[in-house]
Amino acid sequence: MSCWRFVLRRKLLPYIEGLLGTRDVMRLERHLLDCEPCREMLVRLRAGHNLVRRLAPVRSTDSRQPSFADLMRAQSEMASTRTRRFLTGWDWSDRLATPRVVTALAALVLLQTVVLVVSNRGLVFGERTTASAKPSGLELSQFRKLSISELKFNSQPHVATEGYVEGVHTDKEEGTVAFRLVESRGGSQPFVVCEIAGPIQMEAPREGSHVRVYGVARYDAQADRKWYEVNPVFHIDTLGH
Amino acid sequence: MGMKRLELTAAERNDAGKRERGLVLAAQRGDSTAFRALYEDYRDRVYSLAIYSTGDDSQAQDLVQVVFLSVFRGLKSFRFQSSFSTWVYRIAHNECQNYHRRRRANVVPLEVILGGIEEIDPKPISDAQHARQECQSIVQQAVMQLPFQMREAVVLRYVEGLSYEEIAKVLGCAPGTVASRLSRALAELEERVRPFRRFL
Repeated sequence: MSCWRFVLRRKLLPYIEGLLGTRDVMRLERHLLDCEPCREMLVRLRAGHNLVRRLAPVRSTDSRQPSFADLMRAQSEMASTRTRRFLTGWDWSDRLATPRVVTALAALVLLQTVVLVVSNRGLVFGERTTASAKPSGLELSQFRKLSISELKFNSQPHVATEGYVEGVHTDKEEGTVAFRLVESRGGSQPFVVCEIAGPIQMEAPREGSHVRVYGVARYDAQADRKWYEVNPVFHIDTLGH
Repeated sequence: MGMKRLELTAAERNDAGKRERGLVLAAQRGDSTAFRALYEDYRDRVYSLAIYSTGDDSQAQDLVQVVFLSVFRGLKSFRFQSSFSTWVYRIAHNECQNYHRRRRANVVPLEVILGGIEEIDPKPISDAQHARQECQSIVQQAVMQLPFQMREAVVLRYVEGLSYEEIAKVLGCAPGTVASRLSRALAELEERVRPFRRFL
């Protein structure tokens, strides 16, 4: 069994070392009264702490350590080697011609090419395009995938849902783009309203296109409307036109 | 062997800090005597960290030289944004880490520290001193068996006497992470040394 109060557990060692303030000491000691795992950990840490206090610096004898003169000699040798190589220039062409450098350069060129192709594959291959502005630290795989009809049963904040785009509306003043996403082409229900809002900038999806939208799930309940929303939208995958 | 930093009073630490700042400024102006003084102040500390990291005397000496060459080259651009000691330990930590990446070894052979200690002091010693050294070597063996990250935190805290905040700056992590790392290390040490309790 272990204690889930990991913030308090982290204070056990500073407590042993007398580094905690009065308030933290009182809080920790109150917790220790009720928590056997932490009391056991405290005993182990005390024993470990008594052990490491016996550690001493390990010093070699002076004759075996590099002296200051050795250090200065090494420094001036390095400096004169760098100067010699710079003046003669032979080192640079030799360095550039080594197999390792050539391989590294080739790998770099290949990587650049791959990055260019991947980021422009819509242009190159005419395939699905994406628009994205997801928050840092959040992976698309962490968005819960569900259909538009399932949104009403959803309790997770980050969702991904797909459908057909209709009624794209751009509000230049507000800097927002809103559209409806319907589950089946030609049908009006069920639907979800999606909104791309500033500061997130992304291209509006095309009318009629089949897309998957990633964003925050909401329920908008007003006097004149009650509908589910994905607002704001973080990412759109175009699945077909 | 100098006093551990943990054992210095606040006033002593303050005086040492002022002296050190003076030496660093002089060394930055090209005063080789000042640089020599800094080298001699820190050589043993860096060696201690290096030997605990590598377990090998000749590797540790190479690391000492590499570290101080980096210190020498970078001294003019040192801006006192951290303490000089934190800066030196950070360079030493990076070199030790590079050493481990090259060696891909986290667990170090156990015998070197013991062998090193016996060679350092060939004079006859009393039974009490012998017993103390035996205890110390058991603990050192256990420390050398810790994973590199834990071992480093233990050495910086309990050998070199750095505070949690200073260790965090050296290792490039949060003080809470240092506390966690030290806690795991001490718990593991206690477990490893438990069978030898009767010798301690």
